[in-house]
Amino acid sequence: MAYLTVANATKRFGDTFTALKDVSIAVERGEFFTLLGPSGCGKTTLLRSIAGFNQLTSGSILIEGRDLGSVPPHKRDIGMVFQDYAVFPHLTVFENVAFGLKPRKVARDEIARRVPEALEAVRLGALADRLPAAMSGGQQQRIGLARAMVINPQLLLMDEPLSNLDAKLRVELREEIRDIQKQIGIAAIYVTHDQEEALAISDRICVMSNGHIEQVGTPQEIYGNPQTLFVASFVGTINKLKPGAALDSLLGELGLADIAQANPNATWVVRPENLLLEGEGGVGGQPVATVTGTVSKYTYLGREAHLQISTDLGDLVVHVANPDRNGVQAEGQVKVLVAKDAVLGFDADGKRIGG
Amino acid sequence: MSRFGFWTIVLILTWLLLAVLLFVPVGSVLVSSLYDNAGNFTLGNYLKAIGDERIQRAFVNTLLVGFGGLAGALILGSIMAFCVSRFEIMGGRFVSLLAIMALVSPPFIGAYSWIVLFGSAGVVRQWFKAVGINVPTIYGLSGILIVFSLKFYPYVYLMVSGALSNVNRSLEEAAEGLGLTPFQRAMKISFPLVFPALSAGGLLALIHSIADFGTPRLLGRGFNVLATEAFTLYSAEIGSNMSMATTISVILVVMSMVFVLLQRYMSRRNVYHGNMINKPHKIRLKGWKNVLAHFAVYAIGLAGAIPVIIAVIYSFRKTSGPVFQTGFALQSYERIVFGLGDVVTNSLTFSIAAVVLIVVVGTLIGCLVARKTTFATSLLDGALMVPYVMPGIVIGIAFIAAFNTGPIVLTGTAAIIILSIFIRRLPYTVRTTSSALRQIGPNMEEAAISLGYSPFRAFTKVTVPLIIPGIIAGGMLSFVTAINELSSSLVLYVGRTMTMPVRIYLLILDGDFGTAAALSTILLLLSGTAVYIAFRFLGRNEQALL
Repeated sequence: MAYLTVANATKRFGDTFTALKDVSIAVERGEFFTLLGPSGCGKTTLLRSIAGFNQLTSGSILIEGRDLGSVPPHKRDIGMVFQDYAVFPHLTVFENVAFGLKPRKVARDEIARRVPEALEAVRLGALADRLPAAMSGGQQQRIGLARAMVINPQLLLMDEPLSNLDAKLRVELREEIRDIQKQIGIAAIYVTHDQEEALAISDRICVMSNGHIEQVGTPQEIYGNPQTLFVASFVGTINKLKPGAALDSLLGELGLADIAQANPNATWVVRPENLLLEGEGGVGGQPVATVTGTVSKYTYLGREAHLQISTDLGDLVVHVANPDRNGVQAEGQVKVLVAKDAVLGFDADGKRIGG
Repeated sequence: MSRFGFWTIVLILTWLLLAVLLFVPVGSVLVSSLYDNAGNFTLGNYLKAIGDERIQRAFVNTLLVGFGGLAGALILGSIMAFCVSRFEIMGGRFVSLLAIMALVSPPFIGAYSWIVLFGSAGVVRQWFKAVGINVPTIYGLSGILIVFSLKFYPYVYLMVSGALSNVNRSLEEAAEGLGLTPFQRAMKISFPLVFPALSAGGLLALIHSIADFGTPRLLGRGFNVLATEAFTLYSAEIGSNMSMATTISVILVVMSMVFVLLQRYMSRRNVYHGNMINKPHKIRLKGWKNVLAHFAVYAIGLAGAIPVIIAVIYSFRKTSGPVFQTGFALQSYERIVFGLGDVVTNSLTFSIAAVVLIVVVGTLIGCLVARKTTFATSLLDGALMVPYVMPGIVIGIAFIAAFNTGPIVLTGTAAIIILSIFIRRLPYTVRTTSSALRQIGPNMEEAAISLGYSPFRAFTKVTVPLIIPGIIAGGMLSFVTAINELSSSLVLYVGRTMTMPVRIYLLILDGDFGTAAALSTILLLLSGTAVYIAFRFLGRNEQALL
């Protein structure tokens, strides 16, 4: 039995809008579990249902086998971190963090011990007596984090906690969140629409769209082995191969002709970084097809270069690492190598073909 | 379930309150204007009003002073707002203070101060006469318009300066880059951007000009407007014509409402969000332009504050009876201490009572409107707009009509004055509370709930402390309007319940300007203290005064 179980959760708003359709997840103790999806996919609704701010239309939520359905939100013992920080502006940093300890009847001297500890953990120890109003977004969210964790909750929920921060701080703080979560070994559910963030921070990711789950898996599984076309295109980027004679002969060369014939309306895609330019290195002992094309756009990014190449398969984007050292050709005719395991097929319903 | 029950009760009580204090009284005004003295249904009052030359003239005059006041306030207010927000003006804060002084100065004391300066025997006129120049007197339409322009320009100034300093500088730079001349730029970019603020400020000036009673009363000299006609008809000792007075009240209300709707219609598309990043620079002007800008700003500011300055000076002048002597003395204040203490006490107790009611009830309704958005509460929000357009004199007459006989008799009591102030000011507090609550948002409370506080305790521990400063500030500003209220109290007072503005009005009619000036100074001191406290709580937010 998993630590947290959500079973067949359905949430309807009014008669017409269904935010969650029969969603089930299981989160293990100490696991960092991320709900990833575009806005409106139901990830925040699910999070708020676990917190108790939304009542499920049907389905159940259990922690260690105990049903939370009839427990009001303030008795659930779940820490929550908000997108807009929700730091109390009329209280000092210390009072903010101590706020949740008071209804728990924690003794004064224990508060005096635990709050500074929590503040040290988020590196705010020096600012305990300040008011949060003049602090930066990153500092305010650190307060939010310390406040949610100091109560030692059964579960930590985070609703896009980094999306209001600038890019550099986002990377920095997500590492810290991850470290602290592992240190205290709490189960955490994290909501985000940022795929890179989800990949970097999670033990497992649950990709959602339109109120249902597309795929649950480790970051490697989600990125490397997407089970639906939605997951493949939402996490990372893809080239869709143009249907036609060129595609058929490519699939034939790679030994995929039988599968292609069984799924006539399939979509075939390949990730830009899995395509190689001729002379760029080996692909191992597997079938490789060669496609010829002309470079129509060259974007130099320092660490890598993006080439757009016009071929019979449509425009293909190819990512080349370390372009200076690899001596990439920025114009003219090039040969693109397509390895068999780089090509992913999805049937008409968007489900993965083969595997 | 108990929580739901509590708010439902608040909702029902609010409607009940509005029914008793607003719909029934105002409704009965409407109804009584449709009946003749014998109690038969008739449109005769309206036909008579339309046919009556006096009322026709008053109607036209009301429009004249309304739009004249609007034009004056727009011109003075925009010039001042433009100069202060775009150029470096020395003592900018002092200029704002002058505008606030004009705004909170006791009503119609302005009118009298102008009479002191430019009346038949006005001080300034005498000076000019001494050097052989004959300056026209201030009486009549032109005088009223000057006073209205100078009294109501702060509405436009405060609104527009706020908007102007939020216009994104890049927008104007973009227009400049596209080759527009400075004039085209102002007309095509800046003007549309500040139009909502300009029209909202103008609307306030217009509504106050239409509703103002004291100024045309003192300066009109035969130039009558609807507000003064209603009062005359109501207060005539013989043959008081209540149904005609109510007819005029209805016309006045309809007029205000039309303008409110018109303003909303005109600025319906223009909702621009200010920006906090790319604020416009203030330019440091040089040479004659600099002199001109400073001159304009200070001339407007000082002219607007002159009534206050005159009142304060005159309150310390030596008097013999109502006649001023040379030299200074505290006689006027002595007269207040020994003879008019009860008037000051009345004003204070009534205002404080009204403000306490307003704060308690207004906060509850504000929470209701902000947090429980349903059809019923949106309807309530709309209904609360009604007192906003209701001229004070109409509320006064409506209260007399409703509470003179019948189940609740309140005429001649302090309660009726307190309640009239309460219902007129209530919408403002509801607005401030609900917008403050909407700004806080529910996340703050949810954070507290997730930390283990029950919803009720989360509300008291987190939301209440956050909105309290706003509520106190709002209460202080309500106090300013409450203590300066004249037009409804003038209809509702009896000897025992006389307030300071009423007494000042009567003193001026009696020609005792020394005592009037001293009372006004006290009133100004009280208002100023309240504004100061409000700014302490809100930060310096002049727009909260509107």
